[in-house]
Amino acid sequence: MTLNLSASPHVRDRWTTSFIMHTVLLSLVPAAAVGVIVNGVHALLVILASILAAVGTEALFCLLTKRPLSIGDGSAAVTGMLLALSLSPITPVVYPVIGSIFAILVVKCCFGGLGKNFINPALAGRCFLLISFGSAMTRFPMLDGITSATPVAQLAAGKAVNITSMFLGTSNGVIGSSILALLVGGLILWGLDIIHGEICFAVLGGFTLFMGLFGGQGFDPKFLLAHLCGGGVIMGAFFMATDYTTSPVSRLGQLVYGCLIGVLGAMFRIFGHNADSFSYSVIIGNLFTPLIDMYIIPKPYAYHKKAIRAASGIKLPPLRQRIPKPVVALALITLIAGVALSGVYDMTKDTIEEQKKAASAASYRAVVPQAVAIEESEAAMEAIEALGGQVYGTKFGKAYINEAYVGKDEAGNVVGYALSVTSGDGYDGNITLSVGLDAEGRVLGIAFTELTETPGMGMRADEDAFKGQFAGRLVSQFVHNKGGVPGEDTIDAISGASTTSGAVVNAVNAGLDFFHSVLQGGK
Amino acid sequence: MRDTFRGGVHPKGHKDLSREASLRVFDAKGEMVFPLAQHIGKPAKAIVKKGDAVLVGQCIGEADGFVSANVIASCSGTVKAVEKRRTIAGVLQECVVIDNDGQYTETGTFGQRQDISGITNEEILRRVQAAGITGLGGAGFPTHVKLAPKAPLGIKYVIANGAECEPYITCNDQLMRGYAKEIVEGMEILLRLFPNAEGVIAIEGNKPEAIAAMEKAVAGHPRMRVQKLRTKYPQGGERSLISVIAGVDYPTSKLPADVGCIVDNVGTIYAVGRAVIYNEPLFRHVISVTGEGVQTPSNFIARDGTSFAEMIEAAGGLKTGVEPKKIISGGPMMGLAVSTVEVPITKTTNAVTVLLSDEVEKASLKMTTCLHCGRCTTVCPNGLMPQMMADAVIAGDLERYEKKLYGLDCIFCGSCTYICPAKRPLTQTFKQIKAEILAKKRAAQAAQGGGK
Repeated sequence: MTLNLSASPHVRDRWTTSFIMHTVLLSLVPAAAVGVIVNGVHALLVILASILAAVGTEALFCLLTKRPLSIGDGSAAVTGMLLALSLSPITPVVYPVIGSIFAILVVKCCFGGLGKNFINPALAGRCFLLISFGSAMTRFPMLDGITSATPVAQLAAGKAVNITSMFLGTSNGVIGSSILALLVGGLILWGLDIIHGEICFAVLGGFTLFMGLFGGQGFDPKFLLAHLCGGGVIMGAFFMATDYTTSPVSRLGQLVYGCLIGVLGAMFRIFGHNADSFSYSVIIGNLFTPLIDMYIIPKPYAYHKKAIRAASGIKLPPLRQRIPKPVVALALITLIAGVALSGVYDMTKDTIEEQKKAASAASYRAVVPQAVAIEESEAAMEAIEALGGQVYGTKFGKAYINEAYVGKDEAGNVVGYALSVTSGDGYDGNITLSVGLDAEGRVLGIAFTELTETPGMGMRADEDAFKGQFAGRLVSQFVHNKGGVPGEDTIDAISGASTTSGAVVNAVNAGLDFFHSVLQGGK
Repeated sequence: MRDTFRGGVHPKGHKDLSREASLRVFDAKGEMVFPLAQHIGKPAKAIVKKGDAVLVGQCIGEADGFVSANVIASCSGTVKAVEKRRTIAGVLQECVVIDNDGQYTETGTFGQRQDISGITNEEILRRVQAAGITGLGGAGFPTHVKLAPKAPLGIKYVIANGAECEPYITCNDQLMRGYAKEIVEGMEILLRLFPNAEGVIAIEGNKPEAIAAMEKAVAGHPRMRVQKLRTKYPQGGERSLISVIAGVDYPTSKLPADVGCIVDNVGTIYAVGRAVIYNEPLFRHVISVTGEGVQTPSNFIARDGTSFAEMIEAAGGLKTGVEPKKIISGGPMMGLAVSTVEVPITKTTNAVTVLLSDEVEKASLKMTTCLHCGRCTTVCPNGLMPQMMADAVIAGDLERYEKKLYGLDCIFCGSCTYICPAKRPLTQTFKQIKAEILAKKRAAQAAQGGGK
């Protein structure tokens, strides 16, 4: 009788690395299935190509470096799956293959394989593709076949989005964009204790809080939901940020890490212009993980202050006496102020909205003074709709056409046009202005409806010395003149604020271009 | 009130194998081997020599100093040898070997119920010491030392540990079912030593019959109660119990008595009652012989010194047609695997577990690198960070291991190793590194002492 000898414990839990990885893989199947059903068979090809490339790369690496074959643990397949789900369903099949090879070979295998990668391989693969094939990567189908903006791009442009279709995954976006399916998978993983709730909910919490505080629309549930449902927040929170290797081990560390990712994600959304920013915030979180793990080490229970007091029989005075009064007072004031502010915001929200509209209407009248009636133009509306909130043209920087109206006299003759144009290139935020044009395209005048530039510098755009330059001139495009010779079509820059004046010139030019291509001819 | 500690794991219990098997007295037939070191502290000194005749209950090894315990003969016969024999630990240790005459003639100094209402606390402790009682739960700490803390009046809880959280083992379950009254008598004696303490009999919820029996027995004792605990490993660990019952977590630098607690196994408390009331030394105790590899998994009252082979025979022998893979002294979470069945059971052996499959062997084939999944940190009952500790060991950073990660506070319960999906040998690493660190410290101390 030969008896085995080993140190205790002599029993082991049934869960293995491979079991966990395959469960994660399975939990992604609903999202993949919805993606394929909604987007068609090409999405399935993308998924299969991505997984096969990931697994194949790892197998090849193991063979060439004479390591034990590690594809059985399922982690390479998970990487391939995650990468595919974060790609557009019309991505050429070669992209996921390249992305998977990069993810597995460079980010995972070269750093030591499973458990040693320093950032999430799938996200690294995705960002590698984004950087390499920029525009092709961000091309998404509309369901009727027309390329269009994703909901997040629309959100960024201040457009309304259909939250229901985002939730179900029927709006255009990446393959794994069905929030419902992702949530099903993610919550199952959480229920099984495979992913840490601390991370998911800290990401979502941090994101929502920051978005609510600084997103400009308060804690409007529709606005917040739209942001949560778009741009990979859910996939990031449940499947990307929770990657074991690249997230902290301690509970507190996980909360810090999750909040960091959530806040960064919201910051990028609000202040940045890249719809893919959530991937980057997770990667930045990944990079902070070693630092967090180095410094946030929870003490064993016996060394918690409370435990030490309990063990040595020291009793603390009641809570009320331990918190200094000023702290209580400050907390109360903050609370009251917060409630009051959000109350005021809620009460005035509609009024502000109305006033904004009234201001726009007033500015249209101001720039097309001859008109007695300002009417909608069907052609303009269609053209604007087709833009889908995208940047207008290529020559005008970040210019957006918001609205366009036709001005008519008493007899119903067209006497001019009023356009609202926004430039995102202002020195300090957006600049929105209304341009009035007569039927030939002569500028009647411009008026600002949104201008928050530096007082004394950019704000001087609103002085007649600058904005008066546009009025009465008939040109196809204005030229921003920074100290050159003035000519027929030149607008002198505001000295010391050429960013602002350049943005204004671009905005007016965008308006002119839109006029010539869409409105002229009395359509 | 909390019904459990933080962390912990749920290994499969396997208690159904033997839980309904009532305690049977088993008297061995073959030679009996008594290691002189079956407790924590200095080994006892043999006070018999080859050829001496001994009786049941006779002291054959005398405690050497305060932290040591007497070794008692459990059979009558002739001393065959005082020599090195293989023990459970796998090494050769000094043992008294007795040629068992099978008569079991007792010394006659015990067995008679005495009136103990008049005896002093000193007399109680003396009787406990003379009986050679050590903790029967695992470590084998001499009980007379444990029962003599610096401040007996500061003891708030005397905890009778009937948790029995190790898989397979059921002997304490049966002891509580059959000997509830005797355990309560033992507890009464302990409460005499600690007049300010409450006696808490702590039992895991998977033993409803034992809970009912103990509840019936404590009825009418104002200073005693039964506390049901959640079934979770290591619920029966000293720290886990204190954390639940007294609400205190304490570091390794402190003893339970420092935080107002005395924890004793129910078997130990039973033995205290026998020793004080009947003057009976500790030479037999309860033990489970169980596992998939034995014919009739059973619970016994068996005599110290009986060989594993005889214990397995008593349970109907090994199952025929199958080869046991592993035999464990104790349960599978903290027990010791033995290389041969020719080793004796000692005071601390609460089970002989015969396994037909070795999960360690199977798991070693599925070992991967650490995933950093953090499961080990969520199950550690002490709130340690096993994964970081293992990383520190690999990096050779023992400073971080000891100071930042409190690695020496590990109690080797095995929960982290049990749960690890990557099948890393965590507990094993920590055991080894603790030995290394302590050895280095001793060497440093010795060097310092030599320099002076």
